[in-house]
Amino acid sequence: MAATSAESRAREIFTTLEYGPAPESHACALAWLDTQDRCLSHYVNGKWLKPEHRNSVPCQDPITGENLASCLLAEAEDVATAAEAARTALEDWRGLPGASRAKHLTRLAKMIQKHQRLLWTLESLVTGRAVREVRDRDVPLAQQLLQYHAIQAHTQEEALAGWEPMGVVGLIMPPTFSFLEMMWRICPALAVGCTVVVLVPPASPTPLLLAQLAGELGQFPGILNVLSGPAALGPVLASQPGVQKVAFCGAVEEGRALRRTLAGVGPELGLALGTESLLLLTEAADVDSAVEGVVDAAWSDRSPGGLRLLIQESLWDETMRRLMVRMARLRGGRGLDGAVDMGARGAAAHDLAQLYVREARSQGAQVFQAGDVPLESPFFPPTLVSDLPPASPCTQAEVPWPLVVAAPFRTAKEALALANGTPRGGSASVWSERLGQALELGYGLRMGTVWINAHSLRDPAVPTGGCKESGSSWHGGPDGLYEYLRPLGTPARLPYLSEHLNYDTFGLAVPSTLPAGPETGPSPAPPYGLFVGGRFQAPGARSSRPIQDSHSKVHGYVAEGGAKDIRGAVEAAHQAAPGWVSQPPGARAALLWALAAALERREPTLVLGLERHGVEPKTAKAEVELSVRRLRAWGARAQAQSHSLQVAELRGPVLRLREPLGVLAIVCPDEWPLLAFVSLLAPALAYGNTVVLVPSGTCPIPALEVCQDMATLLPAGLVSVVTGDRDHLARCLALHQDVQALWYFGSAQGSQFVEWASAGNLKPVWVSRGCPRAWDQEAEGAGPELELRAARTKALWLPMGD
Amino acid sequence: MSAHNPGTELDLSWISKMQVNQPAVLRRAQQVQARRPVKKEWQAAWLLKAVTFIDLTTLSGDDTYSNIQRLCYKAKYPIREDLLKALNMHDKGVTTAAVCVYPARVCDAVKALQAASCSIPVASVATGFPAGQTHLKTRLEEIRLAVEDGATEIDVVINRTLVLTGQWEALYDEVRQFRKACGKAHLKTILATGELGSLTNVYKASMIAMMAGSDFIKTSTGKETVNATFPVAIVMLRAIRDYFWKTGNKVGFKPAGGIRSAKDSLAWLSLVKEELGDEWLTPGLFRIGASTLLSDIERQIYHHVTGRYAAYHDLPMC
Repeated sequence: MAATSAESRAREIFTTLEYGPAPESHACALAWLDTQDRCLSHYVNGKWLKPEHRNSVPCQDPITGENLASCLLAEAEDVATAAEAARTALEDWRGLPGASRAKHLTRLAKMIQKHQRLLWTLESLVTGRAVREVRDRDVPLAQQLLQYHAIQAHTQEEALAGWEPMGVVGLIMPPTFSFLEMMWRICPALAVGCTVVVLVPPASPTPLLLAQLAGELGQFPGILNVLSGPAALGPVLASQPGVQKVAFCGAVEEGRALRRTLAGVGPELGLALGTESLLLLTEAADVDSAVEGVVDAAWSDRSPGGLRLLIQESLWDETMRRLMVRMARLRGGRGLDGAVDMGARGAAAHDLAQLYVREARSQGAQVFQAGDVPLESPFFPPTLVSDLPPASPCTQAEVPWPLVVAAPFRTAKEALALANGTPRGGSASVWSERLGQALELGYGLRMGTVWINAHSLRDPAVPTGGCKESGSSWHGGPDGLYEYLRPLGTPARLPYLSEHLNYDTFGLAVPSTLPAGPETGPSPAPPYGLFVGGRFQAPGARSSRPIQDSHSKVHGYVAEGGAKDIRGAVEAAHQAAPGWVSQPPGARAALLWALAAALERREPTLVLGLERHGVEPKTAKAEVELSVRRLRAWGARAQAQSHSLQVAELRGPVLRLREPLGVLAIVCPDEWPLLAFVSLLAPALAYGNTVVLVPSGTCPIPALEVCQDMATLLPAGLVSVVTGDRDHLARCLALHQDVQALWYFGSAQGSQFVEWASAGNLKPVWVSRGCPRAWDQEAEGAGPELELRAARTKALWLPMGD
Repeated sequence: MSAHNPGTELDLSWISKMQVNQPAVLRRAQQVQARRPVKKEWQAAWLLKAVTFIDLTTLSGDDTYSNIQRLCYKAKYPIREDLLKALNMHDKGVTTAAVCVYPARVCDAVKALQAASCSIPVASVATGFPAGQTHLKTRLEEIRLAVEDGATEIDVVINRTLVLTGQWEALYDEVRQFRKACGKAHLKTILATGELGSLTNVYKASMIAMMAGSDFIKTSTGKETVNATFPVAIVMLRAIRDYFWKTGNKVGFKPAGGIRSAKDSLAWLSLVKEELGDEWLTPGLFRIGASTLLSDIERQIYHHVTGRYAAYHDLPMC
């Protein structure tokens, strides 16, 4: 009798008090797959798109290997259909008042609420993640995201005046991801009036379900289109007419490759790369709570990747002991079991973890594994790796799920050096009960997100993003909205790709210059040389280039800068950076104002210089005056930068900090030789960056004039100005790994090269693509776009309570 | 009941550096309630186990012999016999862990339990319960009298004044004296965590109480505005583990006050299992102070066995 066995079971459990299975029924997920006849295609323009003669791949239960459905693979033609649908839908959607879009998003939130069980069981079934996490966190967060962005849409006309939606957005998702990652990006895009084509990897049904739910709202069917297909279709999606932005999230190397492929292609590229996170545990921490932080970060199916754990040496033994005890209590198993901490992530993730562990062992690392986890693949037990110093080859690679790599540090200063000494800049948490120390570390970490005494908190109102190789695109909060907006009146982005551009040779050689005749420049002549490290220096190449005036007469000679000079300038900028960053905004403003005053005094010389280059006297005077005003205005704006956000489920503020990018290289346009130079320099300095500038190629003299004042007013190295061949200098700057951001205003070819070369350290770049800019107009010359680009955001979470 | 905790010399370095992060503990408390659902026969078995942890309590001004007697019989027969039979658990001796009464009612309880020929221990609250604001001399005398009357477990309340003013040595000395006054009886120290001001104080008071030789530490009297909560429990359990790691002595844990539903009791069991491990899941090291919890558990067992929800009159009152 079945009942008897159950009864005797109770008797046995009474003694052992073991956990039993708590399965979540996934019948509704299977029933939904049945409605598709177990064959999933694409969801385009509010209906299922089932093209014929397509290859298909099976969608399997990652744990049992059971075939759940087959998925059609998209081809270029399907991508075109989807982009066409998004393009058509765009006209209506962007034209709607924000309030109407808000209503639509709210309806979608309700739709998700009505079908939440289907959503979470399907997601957990196909991804293998713990259903608890999907049900209790992801699905509610998806609804909150829609509601938050509905509010943003509602207030768009007032709050985001001066901005307009970009257009069609292409979104490329990595092979393993949570549907939430898609929600983080489509919500702001839809809210501001963009339409979306999402390219998901084959065998990911949840995004298709979401698209269906959105499609079944009836109105605006084409705003969200989902294709499943290989990642190789990414460039095809990017080159569809009308696509203005491509957002990619995935592995670092894939992002790098995509950056190179899309150089010169129309849409702007936003990258969110890598999965590793960091936890910094100081001796002033509540260790048991920090151990729970490690569990949140690595072993609770919350984050996609592994964790690097830095522990203060004095606390090492105690922390390891507590971690190991805690690990033994973790439970792994089928994701649909409601009582497991960790599910599985498929064979690929298992093999990656296995490989890392094997390599770490061979490099002498200690590996500790524990937990109640099934032994067979694809399950992988919680793993703690230690004794792997930074120099071991393994440490260079990203820590994969579900690994934690622990390393000791001695002092808080050293912790910062270790944490910032990796190319990753995603998220980190700091554990310390000492407020001063926690803030010092929180501010010092070069990361997109820092949690104090917590880990893995998310909220729609808080921007999430990164810096360095984690990419510089954002989702959530105000920054997430700007990802899909452009200043009002910006022309649509068209491809400007030059097929013949040879990346190996572009700007490699500098044409040699010979004496070109007598100088007819001003008297006294501006000092000769490159302005590097606070003084004028002879160029490394020891050669000069002639500058001609509007009558083709030699106005003077400027130094011919080269790779060595760029290296020197970047070094000087790095040395000046700590001092400048620590200046309060007031002090930065004072310096900018002092520079403005100096410019005023120098007005006659500057006007004369501009006139020599064919500028009307009246216009020249206006240009100098406007430059002075710009310096003052940015000085004033430097005051108000950070603000705090209030979020749900957290007592305490989240600070949205605007931090300097670091060393910012700026290649100024040829036109508006003084105004453009100042308009770019001023916001860069106001936000605490140190700057290496290449001034106008045709008329660099006014910039060098300004340098004379900077030599006396500014700290050495804060600003360097390097004259010379623009292509060559742009090449040196774009390929420099220690330049943190680059603005390029010049030729289309130069822009394409800069985009291509920025893949090296994935620095954010802003290129003009050969289009001129109205520097004398407030919107283009001093608008909020500059403000946005001159600094990077950091979200600093400060939970409170006693 | 397990062996006594002998306590240790007072070592303030064990508590001086401790800082508990309250928001992090709150998050953990939220998680721990949602991560280990227990279903079907596991649920039934766990609930029966929970019964064996209950200190069935009545602490009212209007307690008389008759309701103490009812309580004692309910302690002996906590679940209807036929329900236990259906689960094949009737021969496992499922009773509550103890009955807990006021000192003046100890005699009544001992008498009732003898009449039922039952060896369930009688626990008595003492030391000026619930406020603890009486003279030390009378508090000690109260313990001695309760022990004389036959209580084998004494639930004492600590002097919150000493915690809030940071007089840890004085607190240690007081609990030490309680310990002595208890003699062979077990000492369960109520920290009244709702009145300690912060989780850091909860940790420190727990540690001092254990160093002074408490066999159990208990969250609250049930008379404060805030009683047994998960965040407080997490901090106390962590203190118990730290004490065990430092001394090798296991101290028990007793949440009390506000635990009313069967579902709550499952969460408490899994909390102890997660933070301390299976060794602590015995009546010797884990108790739940409750009065109405038992009837809800019985109701759930009824449903598990019969598949129906019980009517009010289906289950005997206590």
